[in-house]
Amino acid sequence: MTAFIKQEAEEKAREIEIKANEEFAIEKSKLVRQETDAIDSTYQKKFKQATMSQQIARSTVANKTRLRVLGARQVLLDDIFEAAQQRLGAASKDAARYEKILTNLILEGFYALNEPTLQVRARKADYKLVAKALEAAAKEYEAKVGKPITGTIDEENSVADGSAGGVVIVGFGGKIDIDNTFEARLNLLRQSALPAMREALFGQNPNRKFFD
Amino acid sequence: MPSAQNSAGIQTLLDAEREASKIVQKAREYRTKRVKEARDEAKKEIEAYRAEKEAEFKNIQHTQGNKAAETEADKEAVTKIAEIKEAGKKSQEKVIKDLLAAVFEINPHPHES
Repeated sequence: MTAFIKQEAEEKAREIEIKANEEFAIEKSKLVRQETDAIDSTYQKKFKQATMSQQIARSTVANKTRLRVLGARQVLLDDIFEAAQQRLGAASKDAARYEKILTNLILEGFYALNEPTLQVRARKADYKLVAKALEAAAKEYEAKVGKPITGTIDEENSVADGSAGGVVIVGFGGKIDIDNTFEARLNLLRQSALPAMREALFGQNPNRKFFD
Repeated sequence: MPSAQNSAGIQTLLDAEREASKIVQKAREYRTKRVKEARDEAKKEIEAYRAEKEAEFKNIQHTQGNKAAETEADKEAVTKIAEIKEAGKKSQEKVIKDLLAAVFEINPHPHES
């Protein structure tokens, strides 16, 4: 009888122990799985952030370098234009050469505006030469185009004495003017000459793909 | 009735019950212990895992790399800027002459209209 009681007790105890071990395994693996998943996602995030900040740093550095180099190029270009500007005045020193240049400048204006009468503005000091240039230009125009043209000097509005030279051709009753002074021409070149200057100074751009 | 024998029998039974109860009780205590052990062991494994991940992460960190990249880029910039100055000295005169030529040498021609 007592043996029976004891046996029953031991069977029950065994059941309890087996259950306990099962619960142990389940509970432990559940806890570990939960937490390691959380840790994994945390470290994934950390890793992503680190990679991103590294990329940002690299890109910032590359950008800074590029800007420094471009800045240096710009300084060089500015210096070149500055020097060119200083030397604009040389052309007006040689009268014969200057007259020829003036003729061509006026002709450009004539061809562009195509009106029977046009006005021309120049430095007061250049009026004599400009008058001669006007004649020559008018002759050439008539020869090429077949129509007569008269250019007169607008003595009320002259080009500033400080200018390096050149003329302004005015048409359409004063509404359109073609600024062919040397400064204005150089200013146009500040934009239009850049590709050629780049190639002459720094060589061709190896990254460039379109050339039209 | 042999009461002495009966009470001895009952006593034995009672003792047996008490023993049985102790056995089951021990099993229950074992169960409680196992629950606690599950938590403790889990905690240890989790900590070990975390430490491993942290070490892995530290190995991939590149904060040193950033400094090196910066000095490298700086050197590159200085070199390139020196190159530009050289190119300037070499070709500056020609470029200025070309610019002036573009200002002064004009080739006027009528429009095709």
